[in-house]
Amino acid sequence: MAEEKKRKEEKEDVEELREVLSVVSKEVPALIKGIIASVFSEEAGRDMGRAAAAFYKELKEAGMPEDVAVKMTEGYISTFTSLGEVMKRAVGGKKGIESKELEKEISKRIKEKLAEKGLAEKEKAEESEEDED
Amino acid sequence: MKISSIISITLHAIRLLLSLFALWLSFGWKVRRARKAFEKELVKAGMAKKEAKRLSAWYSKLKDDIIQAVKSSTFKWH
Repeated sequence: MAEEKKRKEEKEDVEELREVLSVVSKEVPALIKGIIASVFSEEAGRDMGRAAAAFYKELKEAGMPEDVAVKMTEGYISTFTSLGEVMKRAVGGKKGIESKELEKEISKRIKEKLAEKGLAEKEKAEESEEDED
Repeated sequence: MKISSIISITLHAIRLLLSLFALWLSFGWKVRRARKAFEKELVKAGMAKKEAKRLSAWYSKLKDDIIQAVKSSTFKWH
């Protein structure tokens, strides 16, 4: 009876996995394709290029020197570049390192506070001992 | 029933892996086309070709960052 129940559960698990994979194999590639197309397509590249070109043109028309205009356009484009950093953080590339650093910093601060408190209590105890004398 | 389910699971997994592989293969080509279109617009606005190429390098950097992020997350899960 118990074995039959176990077999039934296993069968249900396999069925469930099959259904999940059938959906995942269709949806995940489509999702990734959409994300890639939104940034890395000819159309997206042209749009971004148009935005940067308009910025550069305005600067030039305003009388900005060539090198300054290029540098400012570079700065303008770097806002798009930060997308890579955002992705890195979202996926968790730097998160682990940062959380470890944060953990270290917190434990350091706690130790410092405890040491301060310990010293203060020690001083208090010494003062009270002196008063008693 | 169970065997057919297992076969179906394997086929879906293979399909998923093949789709991801195809995406990875086409990624470089898409980046190249986007980069060229980006450069073309800048050159149209009067920027020197050399500068436009330098500015469009962020596309390659972004691509490398994304691949690196995906790789590191994959190895992290394993």
